[in-house]
Amino acid sequence: MWGNMSISIDLGREVVDKAMEKGAREVVVRLQERLYELVMFDSGMLRSYNISRGSGIGIKVVVDGSIGYSYTSSLDRDSISIAIDRAILAAKSLNRYGVSRKLYEYRGVKGGYRVIAKVNPLDDVEPERKIDLVKKLNIESIKRSGIVSAVTRYGCEIDRRVIVSSYGSEIDIEVIAVGVSHMAVAKSGEVMERVQEQKSFIGGFEYIDYFDWIKFAEEIDNMAIKASEAKTPSPGIYTAVIDNMLIGLLLHEAFGHAAEGDGVVAEASILRGRVNERVANDLVTIVDEGVVEGGYPVPYDDEGVEKSKTIVVDNGILKHFLNSRYTAVELRQNPTGNARAQDVTFDAIVRQTNFYMLPRDASIDELFENVSNGVYLLGRGAMGGQVDPSVGTFTFSVGPSYIVRGGEVSELVRGTIVSGNILEVLKDVELVAKDVKIYTSVFGGCGKGGQMVRVGMGGPHIKVKRIIVGGV
Amino acid sequence: MDIAEIIERGLRKAEALGASEAEIFIAREVSTSITGTVKGLENIESGESIATSLRIAIGKKISIQTCILSRAEDIDKVVEDAVKITRVAPEDRDWVSLPRSLGKTPLYYIVDDRIKKHNLDMFIDFVKRGLEKSREIDGRAYTSEAKVQLSYIVKAIGNSSYSPVESEKTVFSYIVEVKAVENDEESGYYNYYAAPTLNEFNLDKVVEDAVKIAVKSLRAKPVETGNYQVLFTPRVFASILSALIVPAVRADMVIKNRSPLKNKLYSEVLSEKLTIIDDGAAPNMLNSSEFDDEGIATMRKTVFDRGTLVTYLYDTYTANIDGKSSTGNARRTSSLVYPDATNIIVLPGTESVDSIERDVKKGIVIYNTIGEWLSNPVNGYLNATITNGIYIENGEEKQAVKGIVISGNIYEILGRNLATISKEYEHIGSMLAPSILVEKISVAGK
Repeated sequence: MWGNMSISIDLGREVVDKAMEKGAREVVVRLQERLYELVMFDSGMLRSYNISRGSGIGIKVVVDGSIGYSYTSSLDRDSISIAIDRAILAAKSLNRYGVSRKLYEYRGVKGGYRVIAKVNPLDDVEPERKIDLVKKLNIESIKRSGIVSAVTRYGCEIDRRVIVSSYGSEIDIEVIAVGVSHMAVAKSGEVMERVQEQKSFIGGFEYIDYFDWIKFAEEIDNMAIKASEAKTPSPGIYTAVIDNMLIGLLLHEAFGHAAEGDGVVAEASILRGRVNERVANDLVTIVDEGVVEGGYPVPYDDEGVEKSKTIVVDNGILKHFLNSRYTAVELRQNPTGNARAQDVTFDAIVRQTNFYMLPRDASIDELFENVSNGVYLLGRGAMGGQVDPSVGTFTFSVGPSYIVRGGEVSELVRGTIVSGNILEVLKDVELVAKDVKIYTSVFGGCGKGGQMVRVGMGGPHIKVKRIIVGGV
Repeated sequence: MDIAEIIERGLRKAEALGASEAEIFIAREVSTSITGTVKGLENIESGESIATSLRIAIGKKISIQTCILSRAEDIDKVVEDAVKITRVAPEDRDWVSLPRSLGKTPLYYIVDDRIKKHNLDMFIDFVKRGLEKSREIDGRAYTSEAKVQLSYIVKAIGNSSYSPVESEKTVFSYIVEVKAVENDEESGYYNYYAAPTLNEFNLDKVVEDAVKIAVKSLRAKPVETGNYQVLFTPRVFASILSALIVPAVRADMVIKNRSPLKNKLYSEVLSEKLTIIDDGAAPNMLNSSEFDDEGIATMRKTVFDRGTLVTYLYDTYTANIDGKSSTGNARRTSSLVYPDATNIIVLPGTESVDSIERDVKKGIVIYNTIGEWLSNPVNGYLNATITNGIYIENGEEKQAVKGIVISGNIYEILGRNLATISKEYEHIGSMLAPSILVEKISVAGK
């Protein structure tokens, strides 16, 4: 029965047909081929140069209303056949115990998306060039006075996904991403301060060639040095201006996860039952968009559903959750193309794509006007935080930031921790700037249920009336 | 795909491309997971993958690569990448060679046919029982999640001077998360079993213990800041050993000056009550295997003999630097091969937990902590937040505690402050550990 065993729509169709023949009522086949290249220098030494490749097939079947999932990394006919049998067996086993799920009836789409690399990062660029770049940045950094250690990485990912379903989806996507990350540790007296930043591009090595990485690393080093000499802010309540990167991080973690349909279905989200209610100031509009400048492209999800622009919050009113075909039925909404999987070893779950706030009219300068006791919170070097999506609380360790006095940005502060409730913060938004920036990373992403997926996040600068600094 | 054949193919390819040494490790894993939640049985996922990791040397230039194999010929491409990268890698002056001789240690209780055959119905039943049982035991408790994971793993390794050795094993893990609710109070506890076989698996006991501790933890609150006696239950003691003692005895950490146990060989660094063994060939323990991740036969070795450090844990690379032999502790991750603990066995004492608890004047029994991995093995400083614990006064359980932080130097805690070791012990995955009573630990609470 099998034709060509390489990753293709044709192979996907054959597997769908075979699974239908074996008794499935509905089938989604995902084929994936992924390559990840990482070059890492740690304090002047090459610590790792790894090229990791992998491909495989994941098969989701519905038999009598029950779902089974199986995968194999072996692309030979016996292994694929066994995987189909396992998926069907899993569905039938669940069925015997009366477990079934209704999925949204979706009319599949056919589509493709391919990132064009002018310079193929793997085939057109010798390993020496990558080593030289990373080594140079790393060695320059540790030579700098005040820097005690540095880790610099080059990363490249080529991710091809083919999704074919019995309901008509035929999708072929290839995304190429490249980037550099740099982490510097500076020491001043007894204080050690670490700043890490990365810059990733969707495209080929031409982006690595054009970008000024020397300046990029130097800025991170200088920020670490200055931060190690800085004081921590005195705890209290401040008016805050939040930069593009940090608002992206806060929205993704504290609001985006609460908007994910599976959490809403499981009654673990503060946004449950609040559609058409006010959840933010009317200046706030938040969207989840599949393909957007600066973000990570997700034109279709891993169920073969088109990912369009989902308006989650419209002028302060909660409008829509992020859905898979399953949560769409449970929440009586439309699927939004948010069912995503790290790779074929996992079935897809609800995830964000590029989750960000839309800009308004204010200039960045206006945001600082009349701020007497404020703080300018920056995302660069943020260490992450903890959120509880069921109540909306968050605690974040943000990057080195600035105190704002009399409308002016003044001294740098380090070790800033902000906390609060995301819904209160969004209601306290006073101004939204017109600049919008969205970021993605080839080095990390968002983790949930043991799966890591690439995401984009960002927004404009915003001004918030009050935010708690230092966990008071 | 025959994995030994793929190894031979890759080794020949590496040699043809000019590698002076090559080592190829392949693991084929078939796994299934069955999950249930408060909503009942949720899903079954299964799959199979073949992963490879190879190490190439050209003179003293080394590189390690990993890859998922989809076809036998994929190995050619991985070897080509690896050789290309090795040529541009800097020289490692400490490099001597790959292992010269591979081998196997015979093992008991390493393959369980029920797991190998993935008989779904029996395992689905485990999940269903796990979901139902909590409420039967105590009306205040319910299971929020029960999960079974099964794996059947075949692995093989070969290098340029030795033909591949091959072995198989099964892994079974069972986890239940129990919540207890009374009035407005809520608490939780998870319990698990993980081992190559079902031999010691007692589902009822796993759930009963989880329910017992979840219910006991209701109305937990912090205690006053101060010094307390602390009774570490086996699971908490095991996690602290993993976070602080295991990294300190890894030879690579010692060589890189990242261990407080450097230059401490043959010194008494822990209480003489403590004997700690690393055994890669122990029956029915999670990390048991016939050979380690570079093909050296696994073995049992005493690491701390009545408190005295008698060996570090070595792979071939670190053993060559120190002029020793590998202790069969090599482990591979994506881009590293390094020595690590296999299974840790702490020899039990003579007193019963009940009598130890009766003698506690003012202390805390700890059932679970979080954040102990934030402890610093480089200086031995322990830091962990108690999520489930009981405050005891004059041998009597007074109240549940949570949200308090214990801290201190692990070499004092397991040294002069270690009072008693229990005769009962528990098997927790790759650890076999008793309970221990420590005289004085600083606790940050209210």
